[in-house]
Amino acid sequence: MNLIIVLSIVEDRDPSSARPLARVWFAVATMALLISCSGDASSQPQPQPLSASATLGKALFFDKNLSASGKQSCATCHVPSRAFVEDPTTDEGFPVPLGGVDMDLPGFRNTPSLMYASFTPVFSISASGTPSGGFFRDGRASSLAAQAEQPFVSFFEMANQDAAAVLRRLQASSELSQFVAVFGPEALKDPGVTLRDVGLAIAAFETEDPSFHPFSSKYDYWLEGSAVLTTQEQRGLALFNDPAKGNCTSCHPSQRQGYSDHALFTDFTYDNVGIPRNWKIPANTAVPTSPVSGVPLSYVPPDGNLPPGAEYAFYDLGLCGPFSPSDSDPQHRALLTSTTSLCGFFKVPTLRNVAITAPYFHNGVFDTLQQVLEWYVTRDINNNTGNNPTPAEAGSPNGNPYASVGTFYTTADGTPDLYEYNDLPVEFDANVNIGEIPYTPPTFAGGQAPTLSAADIADMIAFLCTLTDGYDPANPSAYPVPVQCQLAAGTSPGRLSSAPHLAGTSP
Amino acid sequence: MQRSRWARFLVAAAAALAATTPSAEESTPSAPTSQELEKKLQQLSQEQEELKARLKELETQQTSKDKAQPQPSEASHPPSIFDNLSLWGYGEIYLTRPVHDPALTQTDLYRAVFGIGYRFDERLAFNSEYEIEHAVASSSDLGEFEVEQFYVEYQPAEWIAVTAGLFLMPFGFLNEHHEPTVFYGVQRNFVETVIIPSTWREGGFNLHGNTDVGIGWNVGVTTGFNLAKWNFAQEFPPYVTALNLETSNVAPLQATHQELSLASAEYLAEYLALNYEGLPGLLVGAAGFTGNAVKTPAPPNAPIPGTQRVWLWEAHARWTPGEFDLSALYSGGSITNVALANSANPGSPNPIPSAFFGAFAQAAYTLWQNATFRLSPFVRWETYNMGSRYEGTQGPTIPSGLVPVSPTPGDYGYWPQNHDRVWTVGASFFVTPHVVLKTDYQVFEVNGNFTRLDFGLGLSF
Repeated sequence: MNLIIVLSIVEDRDPSSARPLARVWFAVATMALLISCSGDASSQPQPQPLSASATLGKALFFDKNLSASGKQSCATCHVPSRAFVEDPTTDEGFPVPLGGVDMDLPGFRNTPSLMYASFTPVFSISASGTPSGGFFRDGRASSLAAQAEQPFVSFFEMANQDAAAVLRRLQASSELSQFVAVFGPEALKDPGVTLRDVGLAIAAFETEDPSFHPFSSKYDYWLEGSAVLTTQEQRGLALFNDPAKGNCTSCHPSQRQGYSDHALFTDFTYDNVGIPRNWKIPANTAVPTSPVSGVPLSYVPPDGNLPPGAEYAFYDLGLCGPFSPSDSDPQHRALLTSTTSLCGFFKVPTLRNVAITAPYFHNGVFDTLQQVLEWYVTRDINNNTGNNPTPAEAGSPNGNPYASVGTFYTTADGTPDLYEYNDLPVEFDANVNIGEIPYTPPTFAGGQAPTLSAADIADMIAFLCTLTDGYDPANPSAYPVPVQCQLAAGTSPGRLSSAPHLAGTSP
Repeated sequence: MQRSRWARFLVAAAAALAATTPSAEESTPSAPTSQELEKKLQQLSQEQEELKARLKELETQQTSKDKAQPQPSEASHPPSIFDNLSLWGYGEIYLTRPVHDPALTQTDLYRAVFGIGYRFDERLAFNSEYEIEHAVASSSDLGEFEVEQFYVEYQPAEWIAVTAGLFLMPFGFLNEHHEPTVFYGVQRNFVETVIIPSTWREGGFNLHGNTDVGIGWNVGVTTGFNLAKWNFAQEFPPYVTALNLETSNVAPLQATHQELSLASAEYLAEYLALNYEGLPGLLVGAAGFTGNAVKTPAPPNAPIPGTQRVWLWEAHARWTPGEFDLSALYSGGSITNVALANSANPGSPNPIPSAFFGAFAQAAYTLWQNATFRLSPFVRWETYNMGSRYEGTQGPTIPSGLVPVSPTPGDYGYWPQNHDRVWTVGASFFVTPHVVLKTDYQVFEVNGNFTRLDFGLGLSF
């Protein structure tokens, strides 16, 4: 069963888009498949064969039978051709995935990309109190393996009741013999150990398999000298780096930082950017129910840090809750949940493949990069009363000349919310980052000006589009350009891609 | 030693006494008779006997004192480490007040420095210098404790010596001699801070010596500069006052010097310095340095492909006619082959410059002095440019207007330009040659908000 799945994945790669050397490897790989599962061809100079643990992990990653519903594997939400985030054509357009025993229970957060996740450092808090690293958007898992375990036993994801249920399903699966070969029969005696070893195997796959870290974007090739960025893309990079314009590199460094030999576009720290509340997440609604079956969501956790009288019943507060830590340093998590100064902080994600990993932010509130950038530079404009401009105000002398700016912060019925940072209780508004560009330009002249113009935003989107992996400098036209990149570049839609995906894969 | 000094004093006193004591008799206008002379001689010899007795008494007292407290004497004390040990040092305290932003007024024990030297024998000596900056050095404080010099010097012959270890580079006026009592102005001049990165020290070897005609020469091989430390992605201005500029270590060679602290020696550098002091009151010199830059051990923040070579040269002259002290210096440097690195970082406020330079002219005048005090006003004009030429980029992307200058919300200021022209006028008041009170007023033409009034206390021993 797993062999068929693996074969189908490999065959999905379009051989004509691969480089000549990769074609040779593809032929070899196909033959080698009959003997063992080998890694996909990639831009790495010498693809190493996967270890036994990683091979097992790959099989586990794609096995839907390890879920209670029989319809969900890791790959269901972390789709390889979509830079390991959700495919937007599934889940009926919700920003969060559906799971559970009947595949009708929505989650809480936009699926994070697993691309380059293995470079994330372990969670730690520095001497000055700055948290960094860790897995999940709130860093509550200290390792990739610990993160891989949790969805197995999550009520609204793969929905195994406990580790023993996972063990039972493993014993009935086709990976059993591989598992025993790697971890030994003793690993089946204790379900906790079994689940831990399942996590280790999946983490080995995510670390070793080159499809998780190809570094094959146009930007990478440009740094190497094999590709040329257009003038617009270079302007976009300059705006990205400019501390008075985008200042993006201060959290999403465009140069390597010591975690790897390539830029990862994240410094793995946490920030509270005051993102608008996303009413499409059922847990955020007044009476959370399943959008598919209508069943009430019993698993929406109470948030211990919520101040009394908060406007809404549920807030996802990131670092300070509401999800329990898995195995990470209890001392750190105790510190985080007992203080409110880090409420609303989420981990800075990588911007690699950002053009194809919509929607954006931890709650998936924005669908396009255009919306993201417009929100960034106009978030606090005309904000004397704490409200964002209404559509009527946009276009007025103090209003915003941007396309989609209307009211970012709305109540459930779409009317402007009384509070700006409405995905946070008002008491935590002080946690929002207002000190760095592009948020709050100086107000000394009276009125505020966004740090990026509309043309600047188009340039920056053009640059962000160069961060998509799968670019082939020898064959640039084979690169499937997402629609939002086409629009930014102002080019006529050539090879239009409605479901943006990585080159060399099918959507 | 004390005894012989006493003895000498007494003998001298006796002689003086003998020379000036009037005779007991009245002096007569006529030439003295032989009888009178004999009487006088007798008197003198009597007085001499009295003095001898007195001297003996004192010597006895001294001996008994010595026995109670044995003191080292020239001839017979046991050898002690203190014989060949030398202790020296200096320190500086300043108060600086940017006149346009008095909230940034600051005072600091900038440097507390001590040096330990030891002379093994007449040919071999060791010297070291340790510095504590900003009074408190710890992981959570702003101060630093550093070793600035640590070398041995061997002089096999009169004309040549060899030095090995961590030593100061013989560039400019201040790098080798920067005690606060030897320079004018509360802070060191900018050219010798941001162009010549005082206090610039490297590890390696050198040969140096002086010739009979007054030419001092110094040639050496040392560690070089490390571009891996270059920060392309400054989010906030690295300095907002002139003092910040001096201490921020952001100037091209300040940011990249290795200070022999886990220094990479993949490439070494060489230098040559020549100074002429053959004419009294005149010093003329020049020096040059070149070496490939290293880019390790930490992975560089940005790929810097290729090989880069760092050059620095300087020329200086000082003339002290009468009460004047006139000096001038020019220094320029370059870093080659940085176009690719800069073009990979468009929009950076801090690309690597291909060239930088600075120059100053200074005149000081001893207005008044007596045995210990000295008052010397001075005036200096200087210019510096930390990036006079760039490759691979138009130049640094310096934000204009008010921008956040720190992560603290609402903390706004201006991003400074990386070049300036500065007028400094001030005075030094020497309480002794070792203790000086200084004041100056500096006007900055480009970064006008840097203009400041300074006071300082410096001492050296």
